[in-house]
Amino acid sequence: MKPSNYARWRLAGYLLFCVVIMIFPLILNNDYLLNKYMRYLVFGILSAALSFSWGYTGILNLGQAVSFGLGSYAMAMALKLRTIPIQTGAKGLPDFMVWNNVKTLPWFWEPFHSYAFAIFAGVAAPMLLALLLGWFMFRGRITGVFVAIITLAMLVVVNLLIIDQQKYTGGFNGITDLTTLKLFGITFDAYSSNTYYLIAGTLCVVLLGGLAITQTKTGLILQAIRDDENRVRYFGYDVAAYQNFAFTVSAGIAGLAGMLYTLVMEFASPTFLAVPLSLSIVIWCAVGGRGSLIGAALGAILVTGVQGNLSESPTFLDTWMLVMGAIFIAVVLFLPKGLISLIDIAVEALNRRRNRAHGGQSKRPTMNMNDVALQGSKPMREV
Amino acid sequence: MTALLEMRDVHVSFSGFQAVAGLNLTVEQGELRCLIGPNGAGKTTALDAICGKARAAAGEILYRNHDITRWQEYLIARLGIGRKFQVPSVFKDLTVRENLRVAYCKKLGVFHNLVRGHNGDSVDGLEKLAELVGLKDELHRPARRLSHGQTQWLEAALLVAQDADLILMDEPTAGMTSAETHKTAELFNRLKGRHTLIVVEHDMGFVREIGDTISVMHQGRILAEGKIAEIEQNPEVKRAYLGSGGISGA
Repeated sequence: MKPSNYARWRLAGYLLFCVVIMIFPLILNNDYLLNKYMRYLVFGILSAALSFSWGYTGILNLGQAVSFGLGSYAMAMALKLRTIPIQTGAKGLPDFMVWNNVKTLPWFWEPFHSYAFAIFAGVAAPMLLALLLGWFMFRGRITGVFVAIITLAMLVVVNLLIIDQQKYTGGFNGITDLTTLKLFGITFDAYSSNTYYLIAGTLCVVLLGGLAITQTKTGLILQAIRDDENRVRYFGYDVAAYQNFAFTVSAGIAGLAGMLYTLVMEFASPTFLAVPLSLSIVIWCAVGGRGSLIGAALGAILVTGVQGNLSESPTFLDTWMLVMGAIFIAVVLFLPKGLISLIDIAVEALNRRRNRAHGGQSKRPTMNMNDVALQGSKPMREV
Repeated sequence: MTALLEMRDVHVSFSGFQAVAGLNLTVEQGELRCLIGPNGAGKTTALDAICGKARAAAGEILYRNHDITRWQEYLIARLGIGRKFQVPSVFKDLTVRENLRVAYCKKLGVFHNLVRGHNGDSVDGLEKLAELVGLKDELHRPARRLSHGQTQWLEAALLVAQDADLILMDEPTAGMTSAETHKTAELFNRLKGRHTLIVVEHDMGFVREIGDTISVMHQGRILAEGKIAEIEQNPEVKRAYLGSGGISGA
């Protein structure tokens, strides 16, 4: 297929996906299920964000949940300050602070009285943290598995910090009993279609925006860095700056997903930035296809969807983990580029069949002069 | 006129081993300089020191009057120094066209390139370039599907697309047939004059075809320098190559 055609079909695929998720609530008339699907879509955003840094740039971020969690807490803090539960202290001090003998609201909670600040912080804080960490990692030429280890360590540190600072963060319990978000007169209830459209819309923007970035020259350089970062350096590109860009943008999107997750779950919890979730993102991304934003998003939706259904069905109550494990292994073994590569494989098979139907002459690869020449070439002397 | 590149008493060592020890090398604008020498003479390390891959422990490297001895690789590249490595390295998952587009870039910042499409600037020039190296029909193919010879050609094209003033080549003909070697020599002679080249090479036939001035390295420093005929007669060079059948057998 010609590349221009390929790009057109891909864009069509993305748009089709967007349309499907946007009209979905019209078909489904069940608030409980709607809430469940919202969760899956949020994970889709999270997974697409990882695909941007891992699949496109080759930065395996095992601490993606840090950004997710920070976004989630930012939203929860803003919502908490607007709740009026029974045990609130002076000037609406959150209940868990009262229980922990905190007398006044800590300074870093103050600005969260404003939704605008909270939403800004939910994206900016993860980006800032990523920028800082990225600056040290990428300037220091840290690559591959070491990036994975450092980001994982970062995740554990932030997670412990949040659990440890119970006075300010709610510790193990997280931040619960939240009010519902009301913006511009629209209420974003966890079970309403408003929230669904907000989440689905965000996913569409992330997918299409991400696709647009990968089509720019910067997107091309990112992919070149994934292939061979040293070579890129000798063309005069500041590789660290490009890596940091991908790493930071990915963190910002994950923060956005975290904020939405708080709306769906109606609380924020340290489990949102725990190791199991963070590693799950990698699995979703790998199953769907890390080299494709939509593949990664679909991977998250499929895996979490199947997981949810299996774990609730009586037949698989005891064995659903085994079934999931078998699926992961099968995908990694037989489809290293993820489920999304099934489309490429199908298109290729279709083309081959069409060519055979045309007498098999048209597209048969011809023997190339250079291939012939290679057979008689002298061996490499030094490698 | 001052020289384009000047290396003064450069030392590079790897955990105690002196790969380059007191190297002095001057290359003028537009020159095609061949760097030869027995294995372990420090030829590749000399190139590494120029492009920033290896840090010089002592001495200085001047390029257009900039002291680039301790510069970052990408800044050195931006000054106009390009490098081809011994093992062909192209971007395997990108198509030939995309490979060329990565190499061909005048503005190198993240945010500048964020507002530019994949197919923005002067696609024409790139197609002509692909034609020059015989890859015109392969533009849409991922680089991993190219043959070894084609990969070498693609890499040469990348260097031309980068349009570096000074091109450092490490064994450009390794693994090529004699016909391909000859074709490469033609390309080099075309580049000569407009670009300055430093070529590390073992193949003396190739050196004869392209070389003006040859610098012979031995044990990390320059042993001799001159035209090919002078070099072949030089008794010190003969001694350095002793055991490998003299210079022609190298």
